[in-house]
Amino acid sequence: MENFEPVILAFCCHYCAYTAADMAGSMRLRYPPNVKIIRVPCSGKVDAIHIMKSLEKGADGVYVAGCLEGDCHFKNGNGRATHRVEYLKKLLDEIGIGGERVEMFAMSAGMGERFAQTATDFTEKIRQLGPNPVKAAPQNQRAAG
Amino acid sequence: MSEQKRFQPSNRVLVVGGGMGGIRAALDLAETGRDVVLVDKGFAIGGLMTQLDRTFPTNNCDLCTLSPHLSASGRKLHIQLMAMTKLCGLDGEAGHFKATLTTAPRYIDLMKCTGCGECFRKFPESVRFIPGLDHRAPTCMRYPQGTPFAYSIIKDERTDFAGLAGVCPAGAILPDDAEKVQEIEIGSIILAPGAEVFNPQILDSYRYSRHPNVVTSLEYERILSASGPTKGDLVRPSDGKRPRKIAWIQCVGSRGIQEGSVPYCSSACCMFALKEAIVTRERFYEDVETTLFYMDMRTSGKDYELYLQRAINDYGIRLVRARPHSVESVMEAGTPAGDLLIRYLAQGEDSLKTENFDMVVLATGFRVSPEAKDLAAKIGVDLNEHGFARAGSFDPVATSRPGIYVCGMFESPKDIPDTMVQASAAAAAAAKDLTPLRVVAQAREELPPEREVAGEVPRIGVFVCDCGLNIGGVVNVEEIAASAASLPQVVVAETIGHGCSRESLEHIQATIWSKRLNRVVVGACSPRTHEGLFQEAVRRAGLNKYLVEIANLRDQDTWVHRDLPSAAAAKAKDLMRMAVASVRLARPLADQTLPMNKDVLVVGGGIAGMTASLRLADLGYKVHLVERLKELGGVAKQMRRTLEGEDVRAFVDDLIKRTEGHDRIKVWKQAMVVDHSGMAGMFRTGLQVGPQMFYREIRHGITILATGALPHRPDEYYWGRHRAVRTQLELEAFLEDHSEDVQVWDKVVMIQCVGSRVPENPNCSRVCCQAAVKNALKILEINPKAQIVVLYRDMRTPGFEEDYYRQAREKGVIFAAYNPEARPVVEPEGGKVAVRFTDPILGRELTVSADCLALSTGMIADEESTEDLGMIFHLPRTPDGYFLEDHIKLRPIDLPIPGFFVAGTAHAPKTIRETIAQAQAAAGRAQTFLARDSINLGAAVARVYGELCAACLICVRSCPFGVPFINEEGYSEIDPSKCHGCGVCASECPAKAIQLRQYEDDHIMAKIDGLMEGIR
Repeated sequence: MENFEPVILAFCCHYCAYTAADMAGSMRLRYPPNVKIIRVPCSGKVDAIHIMKSLEKGADGVYVAGCLEGDCHFKNGNGRATHRVEYLKKLLDEIGIGGERVEMFAMSAGMGERFAQTATDFTEKIRQLGPNPVKAAPQNQRAAG
Repeated sequence: MSEQKRFQPSNRVLVVGGGMGGIRAALDLAETGRDVVLVDKGFAIGGLMTQLDRTFPTNNCDLCTLSPHLSASGRKLHIQLMAMTKLCGLDGEAGHFKATLTTAPRYIDLMKCTGCGECFRKFPESVRFIPGLDHRAPTCMRYPQGTPFAYSIIKDERTDFAGLAGVCPAGAILPDDAEKVQEIEIGSIILAPGAEVFNPQILDSYRYSRHPNVVTSLEYERILSASGPTKGDLVRPSDGKRPRKIAWIQCVGSRGIQEGSVPYCSSACCMFALKEAIVTRERFYEDVETTLFYMDMRTSGKDYELYLQRAINDYGIRLVRARPHSVESVMEAGTPAGDLLIRYLAQGEDSLKTENFDMVVLATGFRVSPEAKDLAAKIGVDLNEHGFARAGSFDPVATSRPGIYVCGMFESPKDIPDTMVQASAAAAAAAKDLTPLRVVAQAREELPPEREVAGEVPRIGVFVCDCGLNIGGVVNVEEIAASAASLPQVVVAETIGHGCSRESLEHIQATIWSKRLNRVVVGACSPRTHEGLFQEAVRRAGLNKYLVEIANLRDQDTWVHRDLPSAAAAKAKDLMRMAVASVRLARPLADQTLPMNKDVLVVGGGIAGMTASLRLADLGYKVHLVERLKELGGVAKQMRRTLEGEDVRAFVDDLIKRTEGHDRIKVWKQAMVVDHSGMAGMFRTGLQVGPQMFYREIRHGITILATGALPHRPDEYYWGRHRAVRTQLELEAFLEDHSEDVQVWDKVVMIQCVGSRVPENPNCSRVCCQAAVKNALKILEINPKAQIVVLYRDMRTPGFEEDYYRQAREKGVIFAAYNPEARPVVEPEGGKVAVRFTDPILGRELTVSADCLALSTGMIADEESTEDLGMIFHLPRTPDGYFLEDHIKLRPIDLPIPGFFVAGTAHAPKTIRETIAQAQAAAGRAQTFLARDSINLGAAVARVYGELCAACLICVRSCPFGVPFINEEGYSEIDPSKCHGCGVCASECPAKAIQLRQYEDDHIMAKIDGLMEGIR
């Protein structure tokens, strides 16, 4: 487990979190390269199926990052995303993958530092949790599934 | 030529100078449908900025931020670009000028030159100019992405013209080219000739002309620059060794001590020296020590103080408050070695120190060039005592001659964001002298028809940008391209240098044609800033603009993982795979458009709000001005005079009168913004107005936020509890109203940075140093015997404010620096207060009994209103509560949401003069929107696949804007012109009957697959 490098997907809304990620870049902050970002117009666009498929295909952690509460460019998309993530956490606990592998974060476009800190903390948490148990399933079973 | 017909003689603007300011002004005018003639004396446009490696505070590569603008101005149909051209004479008056332009021979036919560089390779012996550190060549390209993209030749006796002409494959060399003179008709003029950098040769003691390792900051930029003489490798000129210890000396040639210096402050040098030191540490970290010798660190711009703190705390840059007298060569065995010795007396120390450095960088300031002074004389524009164009406190871009405006350095020394603000302000001012635009036949670029790609197998082209060293310096871009080449359906994968340069964009287009590509992936910077540019490029090559995908290799990879280059390379490959997987599924899409509402909402009725309102109303737009108080005027109502002595009250009263009397301005007093919806061109904002709080809805196309800042009132130093203690703002009024009391004052103390530059409010308030100087001079005017002590941390009087600071010193005001760890202590002493502080020169504690203690409390963001408005309008703010603009450097007025602009102190603390410039600029930027007849809503709209829809109403209930409805056929329908494109319905729909275009589920899944394929 020493060399475990988790694969982490971050769905970031265009208006806040994705901009904050760019801001972290202009500020030359550092965060682990494990985090790969997929840009979405709003965190409310992130479908439960996107998160579940990411885990099924072997991502060790997935998070959704949207605007601060009340700041959503589309009124309440971030609220919907939060509820969706909460629901998925329960589901993941039930099926034994563990709800702590998914998370919802909020930040504004100006919060480059929070973006970097969140990416760092989440990567560290997933590193502690170890690899996604889906990956431990035998190859043939996964292919069949 | 049909092009000539479009240019209506007196309805165009002449812009003199193609630097950042000139380009911005020309682009703004062109965007509002005005014609522009942009002339520059150089061979290509870009000005001083093209020579810089990176700019503060983003530490971004300049060419990357600049080159999109350059290629934009090369191509804009409203802009006629004339390089190597000067304005030589001017007749007529505002609205009807006749200008004489002289174009020097280039000896190259611009229509034929392809910029291949063959002439340069065959005749490299004399390149014309890259300042200070270059060889010579017969042709000249100042930087790799020049516009016009063509060489130029210096003709002298030695030039073998026949040989040179024979080398050119395009036959573009014209040995008989000659100077051309022409007269053109124009309506108004913008002067943006920029400045030149001080040449420190005259300062013998710094050994600039005698020692190769003493360089100017501009030369140091060239050494750091990827397109510079050392290709970005940091080596010192004398022996090509990497320097280990570098010193910067500030104020060389500025703030007038040395012979040949000027008395004013050059404003930008503190920040660019910090930037050079930060970039140096960033690239070489522990290997290079960086020391700055300074007088006052003048980091008073927006968030610049945080940059200074980062320089000290995160990058370990050493700051020494000292003005070194000289730089000496270190001798070894009788001959000068490469090293240099600096002798200095640091503040607070009593003995002279000596220290060796490997290299010394002189932070040289700015001068108006003799050519610019000549030009001013020729066209009748007054200069001030420093040779800069004279402009008023309340009209900062108007020169002494009506119809001629000024922006950038020629007005006063300044940095790029301030130049951009003035440029937009000048463009707005210049437009009002032209005949009003009625029906503008929108000039449109002829585009090839869009190729039908639906039935084709994807043929993907992958292009990887190195972004100078930004990407290429961390990962091997060849390797990234090679890895993408192996992906299915990738037909071509290559590196392209600076991807956003005109040359690279043309290469991408040529490759699309030659390889019949139908999808493109660009590995570059953020799609947030550059997606539009690449979309336009593929469109010009006959592809729908949504067939390109950007992988963010810079902002989200190489910039944040530069300490882990191999992990960064692996991530870059991942990101490329994700982009390729997704673009494979990309479909051609059409943008939605709607008619534009041309009314304007201005929030905030202070100087900024009123100035912007009047500008736009004068141009014929209907303006709604919303003020939450009972009266217009804002904080400026409490001020009396500017530093230059102009009457603020009279100005504000006049502004109020004109605003309230204007028949196109509707002023809503005691009004609060309570709700908001829509998008640029079709906003709706709800107000509660008057004591009864009646609700009113306003429909408008754009919004300007000018809500101001608040005078800071920290509970410190007995303010509000002792009558001798006042803020500078209160003191200003007191001096005007109670001069008899001032006449008996014996001693006055002022404390700077009270409540600013402290952990609770880390930024500088910008205005307090000049306010202290202003009030000190006023006190001495009333009572010449008064003793005034100003306790400060850094005196920040940039530009010509320095003149007044010097005057105050000459008149006996004592300025004593204090250390933030040992702040002055104040005790009441009857009617006076006792102020105890440590004098830095005597090194002793002193106590002064002051009749008056003035606290420079500065400004603080109006958190309550910016928070509310930020929420209502969904606009981001800085951590200290100011509105956050779209791009700190290049778009300081535009807010990140299209159709929103900011002006005045709602953006950051600033002076009245700066506020007015920004308000005029906001009006100018607003016009670029208002000139359009329709709004583009983009293509990201939800589409319902009726056959899958079960009419379950989930979309109807979940849409934040109530757009979906169940139509006659019994399934959900979404009007694309009303859809905001958030995608909530698509993710909620249980049948997956709704897809959000551009972000379809299969695209997102493809990205996930693309990532995992490489990792498993």
